[in-house]
Amino acid sequence: MSSIALGQYYPVSSPVHRLDARMKVILAILYIVCTFLCKNVLSFAALAFSALVLILLARIPLRVILRAIRPILFIMCFTAVLNLFFVKGENLLFAWWKLQIYVEGLYSAAFMLLRIVVLIMGTSLFLTYTTTPIALTDALESLLAPLRLIRVPVHEFAMMMTIALRFIPLLSEETGKIMNAQKARGVDFAHGGLIKRAKALIPILIPLFVSAFRRAEELATAMECRCYRGGSGRTKMTVPHLHFRDFAALLLVIGFGAGILYLNRLGIGYTMP
Amino acid sequence: MARVTLEHVSYTYEPGTPFAVKALDDVCLTVREGSITGIIGHTGSGKSTMVQLFNGLEKPSEGRILLDGKDIWENPKKMRDIRFRVGLVMQYPEYQLFEETVRADIAFGPRNMGLSEEEISARVAEAAEIVGLTAADLDKSPFDLSGGQKRRAAIAGVMAMRPEVLVLDEPAAGLDPRGRDIILQAVADYGHKTGATVIIVSHSMEDMAVYCDDIVVMAHAKVFLAGSRDEVFAHAEELRSVGLDVPQITHLALLLAARGVRLPKGIYTVEAALRAIENLL
Repeated sequence: MSSIALGQYYPVSSPVHRLDARMKVILAILYIVCTFLCKNVLSFAALAFSALVLILLARIPLRVILRAIRPILFIMCFTAVLNLFFVKGENLLFAWWKLQIYVEGLYSAAFMLLRIVVLIMGTSLFLTYTTTPIALTDALESLLAPLRLIRVPVHEFAMMMTIALRFIPLLSEETGKIMNAQKARGVDFAHGGLIKRAKALIPILIPLFVSAFRRAEELATAMECRCYRGGSGRTKMTVPHLHFRDFAALLLVIGFGAGILYLNRLGIGYTMP
Repeated sequence: MARVTLEHVSYTYEPGTPFAVKALDDVCLTVREGSITGIIGHTGSGKSTMVQLFNGLEKPSEGRILLDGKDIWENPKKMRDIRFRVGLVMQYPEYQLFEETVRADIAFGPRNMGLSEEEISARVAEAAEIVGLTAADLDKSPFDLSGGQKRRAAIAGVMAMRPEVLVLDEPAAGLDPRGRDIILQAVADYGHKTGATVIIVSHSMEDMAVYCDDIVVMAHAKVFLAGSRDEVFAHAEELRSVGLDVPQITHLALLLAARGVRLPKGIYTVEAALRAIENLL
């Protein structure tokens, strides 16, 4: 079974894994706010430190975390370069032809980089790596429950999300199988021009669609057979409870935010606008 | 002569992660040329992984796979040629059908080989005949066929490439007894007609006993027993120790033999048992 089959979830036991999923959603949002509160060297240093502590607490290997950052590498570089060249300030560091780099630009680029990295790391450490997809959608369902008052079908959305998440590994496994079957019949994905390669996808996509519809229909039948009729009056198999540790974590993150605000006021070095 | 040889082959999924699983562990195996070889094992014994090694869909973590004495990974760029020589029918192959007609779908493999149109239609007709699809079936959409017919169409799609080695992963899974017999008989016919080597992966002792010359028993990612059908089924006790069994009728014949009824060895079908008992009476 491939690692995709389990989503991003990294199955180890850690204090972060044990937190209540609803609390983790809230913590992740607060942590994102914290990354945007940071304005100067001190607060960014604190942010980087907090990210390291979080990694250690969640017991996720660095290698796995770097994998989450890889897809956004391009955006990171792009942001850094933009900041480097276009943030104007008072202390000119380097000038050549029309390019001018200011000390402020350098700081700003470094801060933005750090902010993006911590942003991605924070959300994946609180959510995707340490919370199973099912726990996550359950948490969203209960956090969004108030929207039911304005007739938003929260349960149905959560169920759709759960099913979609459950189908991702299934379909990716299915894709692998179909690709192998067609490769065995001599399909060549790696060679030929763009049109030839696009054509090579037809033997993959048609069986995949057919199987996706078949699975959807089977699932619908199975749910109907078990008398599924939406959210009203439905109880949960595992009812989550908030523990002392959840509130402690909340206090810790709020305290961290306050600390950031305090460090911002010390006004040492470059301060972001 | 050995057609396919596995030399100390190991295969690990997701090496170096918490999900690491050793699916094959130091497997050595020889498949005789022109034989019908059955690979039997329980779920998780590594047989489906082994299937994907035969035609280079997966690369062994350790060890070599030889086809006619040559390592198939010697030149990975030529892997497509290996795949035309070693035809693979995966589990539930009916899910790979995609063309507008059954005829076009069976022709897909041969067309990828770059054969002429006459050659392609000759091969489609031949493969359809072996699996028992009629000319009327060939013009239907593959999605309008019955489950068993779809399976046969998919298998014909691989047979039409006329592979020297035909590997099938659970070709009869989920079919009714009649469907099973039609498919397994078609596969055996292909082997006898073309002289190709056939490798069938299955967990059904009953089927393997009827159709296979040689049998390899897999257990816990290793080869547990290997040899001719008679040799393997002579080890009924060992087979039971890994949760497999000899066919029921063979079991009955053994019990009768133990009580002094003089039955010949190697009874695998009810018909054979009937004939042996009739001879005694």
